[in-house]
Amino acid sequence: MQNKYPRINYRNGKRFFFRFSLLQRIQHVILFSCVITLGLTGFPQRYYNEEWAKPLFTFMGGIDVAPWIHRGAGSVLLALFFFHTGYWMFLFFRNRIKPLIEQRTLSPVTFFKAFLAMEMMPNGKDGRDIIQMFKWLLYLSPKPPQYDRISWKEKFDYFAPYWGIPILGPAGMALWFRDEFSQVLPGWLLNAFYIMHTDEALLAGLFLFFVHWYNVHYAPEKFPLGTVFLTGYLSEADMIHEHYAEYIEAMTESGLEHEIKPQGHH
Amino acid sequence: MLHLIKTIINKVYIIFLMCFTVWYGFFLYPVIYGHGGADHGVDMVASADAEADAEISALLNEADMQEKQFASALKERASTATTNLGYMVVEEEYVQGHFHHVGMTVEPDDTSLCIRCHGAIPHDKAKAIRAFLNMHAFYIACETCHIQPKDEGQIWAFRWYDKESGSPISTPPGLTSKDKSMYGNYGAKIAPGRISSSGQFMFLNDERERAFVEKYLKEKDRLGSTQQSKMKKVIHRRIDEKPLMCDGCHNEKKSYLPFDDLGYPHRRKQDLVGTEVAGMVAKYQEFYMPKFLLPGKGWDADTPNPTEEHDTH
Amino acid sequence: MGVLPNKRLHHATQRQAEAFTAALAIFLVIFMLGGLIWTPSVQAEDELNCVLCHKFRGLSRIDENGRFRLFYINENLFMKGPHKRIMCMDCHRDIKKIPHDPAEKVSCTVECHLTEPSGKQKFSHAPVKKVLEASVHSKYDKEGNLKDYPEDYPSCKNCHEQPLYRPLSFFKGESAGISRRGLSRCKTCHQTGDFAEDFYSHVTSRLQKTRESKEIVEVCAKCHGDPAFQKRHNLDNVIESYKETFHGKAVSFGSNETADCLDCHVVYGESVHSVESHKEPTASTHKNNIAATCRNEECHFKAGEALASYQVHTDYDNAEKYPMQYYMLKFFKGLMAAVLYFFVVVIFLELLRRLFPNFSFIKEKPADAESVLRNNSTEKGA
Repeated sequence: MQNKYPRINYRNGKRFFFRFSLLQRIQHVILFSCVITLGLTGFPQRYYNEEWAKPLFTFMGGIDVAPWIHRGAGSVLLALFFFHTGYWMFLFFRNRIKPLIEQRTLSPVTFFKAFLAMEMMPNGKDGRDIIQMFKWLLYLSPKPPQYDRISWKEKFDYFAPYWGIPILGPAGMALWFRDEFSQVLPGWLLNAFYIMHTDEALLAGLFLFFVHWYNVHYAPEKFPLGTVFLTGYLSEADMIHEHYAEYIEAMTESGLEHEIKPQGHH
Repeated sequence: MLHLIKTIINKVYIIFLMCFTVWYGFFLYPVIYGHGGADHGVDMVASADAEADAEISALLNEADMQEKQFASALKERASTATTNLGYMVVEEEYVQGHFHHVGMTVEPDDTSLCIRCHGAIPHDKAKAIRAFLNMHAFYIACETCHIQPKDEGQIWAFRWYDKESGSPISTPPGLTSKDKSMYGNYGAKIAPGRISSSGQFMFLNDERERAFVEKYLKEKDRLGSTQQSKMKKVIHRRIDEKPLMCDGCHNEKKSYLPFDDLGYPHRRKQDLVGTEVAGMVAKYQEFYMPKFLLPGKGWDADTPNPTEEHDTH
Repeated sequence: MGVLPNKRLHHATQRQAEAFTAALAIFLVIFMLGGLIWTPSVQAEDELNCVLCHKFRGLSRIDENGRFRLFYINENLFMKGPHKRIMCMDCHRDIKKIPHDPAEKVSCTVECHLTEPSGKQKFSHAPVKKVLEASVHSKYDKEGNLKDYPEDYPSCKNCHEQPLYRPLSFFKGESAGISRRGLSRCKTCHQTGDFAEDFYSHVTSRLQKTRESKEIVEVCAKCHGDPAFQKRHNLDNVIESYKETFHGKAVSFGSNETADCLDCHVVYGESVHSVESHKEPTASTHKNNIAATCRNEECHFKAGEALASYQVHTDYDNAEKYPMQYYMLKFFKGLMAAVLYFFVVVIFLELLRRLFPNFSFIKEKPADAESVLRNNSTEKGA
């Protein structure tokens, strides 16, 4: 992996820092295409009474087509969820468990420790970062938080769909296959699934539109479009701004300690 | 310099985003605390409407018959009904309790200053013919029959005006159509006017009259009841004691309205002045309503003389 | 209007003389056929020329009770329904002369002059009245006593306007309207009058819903959607809760394939006038029959019995009746508010911080690279 994606890449004499592999970026593209499609075909149904709902739903194919687009996109998303689960398990095994086996140190304790050490896992530093962030936000410290490779915000962004899909997906499946479902389980569960499906979707939609897009697109230094989801590499300025800890580590590792820039603004 | 501009743009954008964030905060609340549908917070207007409806409906519960009538009239809104036949969609006005399909919506006459107080279906006194009179009011302005030339030898000129804009138009398309459902439904009305010395046509109810009515309605509450009566007299000063009668136009000799000039096709003119209509008018007069031509005096003895009560006099 | 465009009768490339002869021949045939088929039916039904006056839209008045009375007849539409073959005076029976006195209310249960072909009897809507009177919509209870608020119970006109045909074409795929090609098959034999066209419309209209599902819901909502009505009869707002279901949503987007009010509240295959209270053991919505209603052969026939426990008319604000829905909604609303408002505050503060990036109430030494690394490595033990 290190060879395929150098940690620091140079383009036009500028430094870019590795963030996401091609496979990850492809997963992300599938994820957001599905989510947007699901939103465009789903929210008109939730808000069937609003003025915008009917034209949008008609545009998405109307009552005969749009529900099938919705189901199709949902199926792809659910498949992506399973793929991604296999994907991180594979990486976890290859990068963290296999070395333990080779070193003959695999035990429940080391396994658990390895599990917690995965970069997406929330950890103590996230807690300290959040405290530092509030200090900084409230003008109580001149130091912005110095995030590692994955900041707590990004972890939140990651776990939002990773918790959302298992709620939305099966609920959607149950509503889709309501007849078969009712052969085994009581019909009132569909009432519950309906709420789960529609309310969790609303949360996801409102979150993505505002919080996620603010972090990656609306923020002043990103506007109008953050490009890391396409290139997989982040510019030095953004890196300093968002992942200072990771930046220093990457620079140190590449023997560029003397070129590390301070984390000031502008 | 460039740096300064950049900084300013940056700050302005930040402030804009802050405003957006605050807006989003307010936007979120009804979105979260309504659960879809129109009547649950998402659409504030709709829920306010529903509340008003509920209030009126509550009134209906306790009210006696008259209050009920009043309340239900208050509750009624002009609404349309849609019937989708698959190969055609019938969009029509909704008339409560009406069985036959209307098949159209009617453009309101925003121009007539009489309608502002008297409504679009004003005729009520002459029980036997009021529906006929209202039928005429649909495409003939009030002043056409209710204001006739006072001086000998003076005559009005007549033009069609567009119900929406009020401006004079040439022959409305419905008039020459062979489609019977277009009859009387021209989106326009015939109104009298004068031709000035410069050859300019001016409607009788012109800007000046309109301004009178406008001003009166605005100032009405400020005026005392005596002044109100005075004002009414002034506004209605030109109204005739006796309106133009049916046979004024529906006769074979000389029609008050110049049908030809107004663009009536020959066959329709013949219907109006020939046996079909004029004959019926005569028959009506003879057999069923001897005093038919004096609205209010014939047929229904309970109706008081219009000259005593009619508020246009 | 959805009707297939006329076939091109001849090719422009044909020789002129031929074209002329053909055109003439076709013209003659059409003319002759037209004479047979197109008897001017308006005149035929309206012998007394009622539309001489009633064709004017403005023919109207406000009656003594303050009701708007409209006497307009839209002939084009009148001729598009099953009543087209009935004369005005067949229903408005008290009108004996023209011009006429104010007409009485029409009774839908009188026998009209038509003969009902299956039983060779005078046609009447009286059997419908019988069914209606046995349903939940009857003014009278089982003992024959007048119910409370009898004026709230519907009669024909509360649900029905003048009926209109909704013919279907199956000729080349299914579509709305009359298939002229299909009709031409009928007219091969049945040439007299409008018989073929009427019969075609009559039958094909009844192969589908004679009114769109959306219109059905609106008809029921006239009463059941009125808050005061609900209060008087102690009913839930079933219109609102229906619209929140996927059935309701699909209908609002124009579907006619999903269930509307009548599909669930009438026993499968029975007259739509026979709606019963869910308390009646014979009702389609009685707790013992719901499963059968859902699982009828046109709907959820693959479903299990358990589907019956699905709560269609959920009132999400009613914690007593629908506790699961109520508390689930509470949870999700709380979750949503907590997550979103947390981030709204964080983002607002972040933006505010960016306005004055270098200011701080408490001064600190900026971190050096080593301390950052040290701080970081504690988490990366493994």
